[in-house]
Order: sequence, then structure tokens, then C-alpha cells
Amino acid sequence: MAANYWASTQRRHWLFSREKLAEIRENFRERDKVAHTQFPLPDQRLLNIYFSQRKRSELCPPLTMPTELIKLGKRMSTRQQALATAQVYVKRFYTKNEIRHTNPYLVVTTAFYLACKMEECPQHIRFVVGEARGLWPEFIAPDVSKLGECEFSLISEMNSQLIVHHPYRTLSELQPELSLTSDEVALAWSVINDHYLTDLPLLYPPHVIAVMAIIVAVVFKPSQTSFHGSAAPLASAMRDGGMNILAALGDKNGNGPPPRIQRLIAWLAESEVDIKAVIECTQELVSLYEVWEQYSEKHCKELLGRMVKSKNLDK
Amino acid sequence: MMFGKSFPFYNSLGGFYPQSLDTRKPPGTGYTSKVRVRDRYHIVGFISSGTYGRVYKALGKNGQKGEFAIKKFKPDKEGEIVQYTGLSQSAIREMALCSELDHPNVVQLAEIILEDKCIFMVFEYTEHDLLQIIHHHTQPQRHAIPALMVRSILFQLLNGLLYLHTNWVLHRDLKPANILVTSSGAIRIGDLGLARLFYKPLNSLFSGDKVVVTIWYRAPELLMGSRHYTPAVDLWAVGCIFAELLSLRPIFKGEEAKMDSKKTVPFQRNQMVKIIDIMGLPTKEIWPGLVSMPEYSQLQSLAMSRAPGHFNRSSNLEVWYQNCLKSNGYSANSSAGTPGADGFDLLSRLLEYDPTKRITAQEALEHPYFKNGGPISANCFEGFEGKYPHRRVTQDDNDIRSGSLPGTKRSGLPDDSLLGRATKRLKE
Repeated sequence: MAANYWASTQRRHWLFSREKLAEIRENFRERDKVAHTQFPLPDQRLLNIYFSQRKRSELCPPLTMPTELIKLGKRMSTRQQALATAQVYVKRFYTKNEIRHTNPYLVVTTAFYLACKMEECPQHIRFVVGEARGLWPEFIAPDVSKLGECEFSLISEMNSQLIVHHPYRTLSELQPELSLTSDEVALAWSVINDHYLTDLPLLYPPHVIAVMAIIVAVVFKPSQTSFHGSAAPLASAMRDGGMNILAALGDKNGNGPPPRIQRLIAWLAESEVDIKAVIECTQELVSLYEVWEQYSEKHCKELLGRMVKSKNLDK
Repeated sequence: MMFGKSFPFYNSLGGFYPQSLDTRKPPGTGYTSKVRVRDRYHIVGFISSGTYGRVYKALGKNGQKGEFAIKKFKPDKEGEIVQYTGLSQSAIREMALCSELDHPNVVQLAEIILEDKCIFMVFEYTEHDLLQIIHHHTQPQRHAIPALMVRSILFQLLNGLLYLHTNWVLHRDLKPANILVTSSGAIRIGDLGLARLFYKPLNSLFSGDKVVVTIWYRAPELLMGSRHYTPAVDLWAVGCIFAELLSLRPIFKGEEAKMDSKKTVPFQRNQMVKIIDIMGLPTKEIWPGLVSMPEYSQLQSLAMSRAPGHFNRSSNLEVWYQNCLKSNGYSANSSAGTPGADGFDLLSRLLEYDPTKRITAQEALEHPYFKNGGPISANCFEGFEGKYPHRRVTQDDNDIRSGSLPGTKRSGLPDDSLLGRATKRLKE
């Protein structure tokens, strides 16, 4: 069903356990050991960062322009939701295909093209190919039929299950209920954006992700000082904060955290959200911010380029 | 790029795709279908063609039982060579929605096969549709559709629509031809090519498709140029279908004004007049939102163009309804032989001018028309003695791989070139 996550194809076919996901990837490695030795690739999260063309400064909450839109709780840039959907498509595709057998540049571009149609903001195929060639001229052919063909592969591998449920919706629904400030919503929003860089969309339902993002935004409320420039302070704040929230949850009548956080905890306890899953998500995010420290655009580009060019995957 | 793979996985039917087919092409040459239409289905004949492509009747092969309707989307062609040019948005929508939806009153998808640059959507086969049933009742002379059958059809239709609406899907093209009926009397809402999700749409619903709903079934707010329309448009169409089931004629049979060369959508004056003739002139008293509709001035000038009193202020629907019952031989007393007063009340609530006041699918299902008068059969043919002819299946073009006919543009989307281009027949 389209609106009901519980009956959705996302829940029935595209939710994996960590073990299952690890097994799928191990199978890829087993099946093509040569390629894995010959073409080492950076951590998948670093590749995700590379392909979403993000700079670390974007970790800062968008406090200026988008806040106004988020306040309305209704609107977001069309590009953002299509990007989120595209990122999920890429993840799903690579649970069925070894990345070393594909041209990841083409897969990413095609996923965006398809996601735009699905999210009702269609872009012309020529425009999308043009944009992609602007970014990666050496890996994207000018011929639009390559993208059209790759679209067939994506749809086929996903069994035409193209409707994706995102945590953004839960976030806007919970905003009034938890009386979140616009700053908190903006921060939770960017945490949700970040989670697409990890495996989390394949591992947890969107509402769990949304609750995680809200907790990060409200509990850790990374101040401007700790949040600018580097992800490391946020990571450590979250690690410590994670302990705090665990303690608070265990100690219901302690003098623990401030009232605002207590309210959130009370809501959590009532909501039947899987707290353990929420905490696991938080840890996954901490780990993302840590691995982010190693990100090098140049390194990703080199390794991918070597793989694509020597295997002629762009032909 | 290559998509060769060496592990089996489930297809949409829950079966395994055979592994052996994966190696058909060497690496690096692109997409190869893992299943082939001809390996799985035997094409029996051609059913119909439309703007999207063609529909074929098929039988399952190799142990797969049953009859199927295979909808083949037209490929785009440059000259005689079929190219990958990107799928149309309406094909994408229909594929995604049909894969997600599952309800006894919504058409059932068996699988989707992408092969030879074409999409093949494989549906369960339905023997009838409402257009064909209505037509049958006008031949050789008019004889009414039994009241109990009308009631069962309408209930099932609303039940399917409630499912769509609670899942934030607008159908946007309900009409008798799209309401399928199985040989065991189950109603299936079909053709989701114009359907879309309406939960917080990124763009206004208007911006995507400038024209929706076949003109005779188009709700007044659409005719008035509404930008943000709602599930209520589907309920107006249900009202039109209800009226047509009773009278065997479209209730508002207007003529469509064509788009001009500037691609601006014209005011559908003729259609509006047909509605006003029966429903009376809409006023801001009964429809407060009317004055802020983009085409309000058009409506005013339409009213001014006629002599005062030409258009009724009040509705003639009840007169229309009573005449309809009489001329179609529905009995006058409110027994099982007539839709009666309850039927009129439901019809008038479906054909409510103000979309905010129009009855919802949920409310309609709880209406006295369904509550009173005994149980409703899930088989709309129950107790019916007559027989409807089978769907016409012709042999003129059985080659599912080559057939395509010219069509017209369905909507104004940039990537709908796939659907829009008139193509020459290409025989292999």
C-alpha cells in the first residue's frame, strides 16, 4: 500500500537484518574475489558521501533559508526528496548487484532520473544526462539511451517496487506533537539527510529513523560552537549523550535530564517505538561521522575511476 | 555496464527467476531481461489499443495456469529503430502503484516484464467492463440493468475507491471503460495510468498533468480550473457512472473543447452547460469556494450569455432521476426492483457541486442505499439470468513484439514522448 508502511513493499521486501546484508555482501566478495582484490574501493559510506557531492560544512543545520520552509511542515525542495529516493534506489540495486560489475556513475544518475519521476518532479532525460556530464564528464556518455537502458535494470532489479517511505513525513507529523522548535526540526532534518549515507534505510523503518533524528536534535542540541566545521565533536557528544539517554530511560524517577528531554522520554516510553533500534541508529550515525573524518574526494575518484576505466564499465 | 548476476532471487510473483538466462549476453552490453514474455505466456489475441499501447489476451505457459491481459507500453522509435528514451511518467506511476496495491476491487497485477525496450504489465484477465455491460443493455432494445446488480457494482466500486483513497491514491480517470468486471461478478478498478499519490505532493497536482479525467466524468471543480483538487474528483465520476448504469447513457455528455496551439487549457463551456442543465447553476451560496475558482469569470459570462431564467437556479436532478426510473422500467415502489429514494439521495450527494461537501467513499459505503434492502452480493451477476458476451479478442495482430498504433498524448509531461509519438507499424 502506498500510505501504509506496514503493508508496503518497502517493509515486505526491502528491509534487511544486519546479518542478511552482511551475507549478501560476503557473497559478492566470494563470487568475484579477483575483482575485489584488484579493485579495492573505499568504505561504502565514503562512496555515498562522494556521490551525494556533500561537503562537511553541510552538516551544519540549515538555519537560514530552509528553516522557513520546514516551519510550514509541508514543503521541501523537490530535489531533496527525489535525492533521498534515489539514494534508496541505489542501495537496493547494490543488494542485487556487485558494484564492481557496474558503472556507479551511471547507476547514480539513473536512480536520480527515476526518482524524479516517482516523486512527481520529472526532469527530462537530456537534462539529467547533461547535469551528470557536467559533474562526471569522463564517466557519463552523451547518449541518453545508456541511461534509458540502465533505467530498465533498476526497475527490474527492484521488481517495480518504487514507492519509498521516508522519515521526513514522520518528522513533520511529530513536530506539533512534541512541540519541536524550528531549529530542532531543521537539525533533525539534516540528520535524516545524513542517514541516507549509511545502510540505515535498509535496516530500519522510517519512523524509527525519524525518532532517532529527533532525539539527536533535542537531546544533543549541538551548539553552534561544537557543530561547526567538524563532525567529530558531534560524534563524541552523541556518544556521551547516548549514555545519558540510556541512563535516563533506566532511571525514571531520578533527577536526570531537563524537563524538555524528560517529556521526550515520556513520549518515547508511551509510543512503543523500539528504543533499542533507535539507539542502534544513533550509533550508526556516530560511526558515520567518525568515518567521515577519513573522507577524501580525490581518493574515491581515483579508485572508482581505475575500476570503471580498466573494466570498460562506462562503455 | 553489466547486470549479470549469479544468484537467483524472487520475482514479483514470488517465484525464482531462472538463473540460466542470465548469461545470455556478455558483460558490458547492458540490460537483458531475465524472463521473456513468450516463455511465460501464449498470446491468444488482441484486445484493445489506447494511447499507452496495446492490450493482449494471453494464457499462462509452462505450468502457469490462467488467463491474463498483457498491457504492452509503446516503445519509442527513432525511424525504425527502437531506442531506450526513458520511460513515461505515467508508465512509472502505474507500475509502482500496481506493484504496491492489493485489494479485491482493484485490478490485480501478476508481474511486470521489461524486455526488448518495452514494458509488459501482466494483469489478471477480466471478461467484462462496465462500458461493455452498459452497451449490451442498449441492444437490441434498451433493457435496464437489474437494480441489485447496479447496487453491487456501485458498492464494490466505492469499496475499491475507499482503499485507493485511504492509501492516498487518486485514480483521476474513472469511467465505465476502466471499471473491469470478472466473469464471477467482481468489480476491479483498472487503468491506474493517471493515478498518483496525493500525500503532500511536491508540486501542485495541477502542474503535472494539465488535463485529467475524460470530459464526461470530469468534476465541476476541474472544469472551473481548480489547482489543488482532492479525492472528491473521483466521487463525482462515481456519481456519473451511477447515473449511467441507471439510464444507460452518459448523464453529462458534453463536447470537449480542444487545447489551442498555445497549449493553454480552454474553459470546457459545453461540458459545464450539460452539467448546469441538470444540476442547476452553481452559486456561491451552495459552493462558497466557487468565486475563487480560476474560471469563475467564464462561468459568469456563460450565465450572462443566456436569457435570465434560462438556467435553473435549483437542481433538476430529481426530475431527471424519476424520468430515468420510469423510462427504464424500474418499479415505482421501493422494493428490490428499484434504487428508489435512497438511490436518489446517494446520487445527489455524489453529484454535489462543492467538493468539500461531496460525499466521501467511506460515507457513501455507509449510505442507506447500501444499508437498506438486504445484503449485497460480492458477485454483481448474482440472480441475473442473462449472459453478457465475452470480451472481443481479435486475431489481426497477435504479434506482441511488433504491434503498435498511433495514439494521442495523454498528458503534458516532458517525458511522455514515449506515449505521445505516433508511430508507424513495424513488422519484423
